[in-house]
Amino acid sequence: MTYAVGDAIAPFTIKTVSPDAMKDWAVFLADPNPIHLDVEVVKAKGLGDRVINQGPINVAYMMNMLMAAFPGGTIEAMDSRFLDNVYGGDKAVASGRITAVDGDRVECEFSLDVEGRGTVNAGTATIRINA
Amino acid sequence: MSEEPEFPPAPQVAGTSLDGTKTFTVSADENERLCRSVGVAPAADGSAHPVWYYVATQVAMGKTVAGVCETCEFDVEDGPMMGSSGVRFSAPIMVGQPYKVGGEILSLVRKKSRKLGVMDVLTYRLRLIPADGGAVGGGDAILETDNVWVLPRKELA
Repeated sequence: MTYAVGDAIAPFTIKTVSPDAMKDWAVFLADPNPIHLDVEVVKAKGLGDRVINQGPINVAYMMNMLMAAFPGGTIEAMDSRFLDNVYGGDKAVASGRITAVDGDRVECEFSLDVEGRGTVNAGTATIRINA
Repeated sequence: MSEEPEFPPAPQVAGTSLDGTKTFTVSADENERLCRSVGVAPAADGSAHPVWYYVATQVAMGKTVAGVCETCEFDVEDGPMMGSSGVRFSAPIMVGQPYKVGGEILSLVRKKSRKLGVMDVLTYRLRLIPADGGAVGGGDAILETDNVWVLPRKELA
């Protein structure tokens, strides 16, 4: 498979961000922050009216896109910025494009966008392509 | 002639150790649950989902999230926010492999923003090292991650 600068990366879509997944992640992260678990707490803090996805879940969505786009490849480096919250029930789409190709390494830029609210995460990654 | 600063300086916490004392192992069951929770199947080659970089280092570092906030003289109930997360892998995280964590706070910088008012920007670095070899100092780490958190200082706004 060949890659070229400007190539789009096939999107990875989460049709509905799951509040149940947030409960699992509270256990994985050993962090029972109620803004991820209890909508009443989110409302009381003035942060919205739905539970808020844990930030690393959003990173995982973008990693999924990269792993699907480069089968057998390895994520060597990844940087992502958290620009806004993702809420339970959101439709989230990770997408990106190739910005550089150097031997067996591909550089990408990507974003995570939520339907109706735009980009909530953005970043860059380096993928090593395994022949 | 110097002007009085608008707010007191951030606590001096750079260099605070975040070395962990316990090991962290991704089980096959946990990896499958995590993968399913984000919409993919687990890898067949024994590697864990790469996002475990964040989970493993947070869970096995030497302080809890609340403890890191406390070190920064910030109440976790005041709502720390993730600013960014970066990771450099030298090897994949493997299911069933025990790891230990080393790390430290790199900086805590007080700033003022139009959106958030006064805030402290916390940057810390964590490394994931196979538990059966290597010092937490870094040479044998399979990954290194830098996380940035924003700590809004409502009391200084």
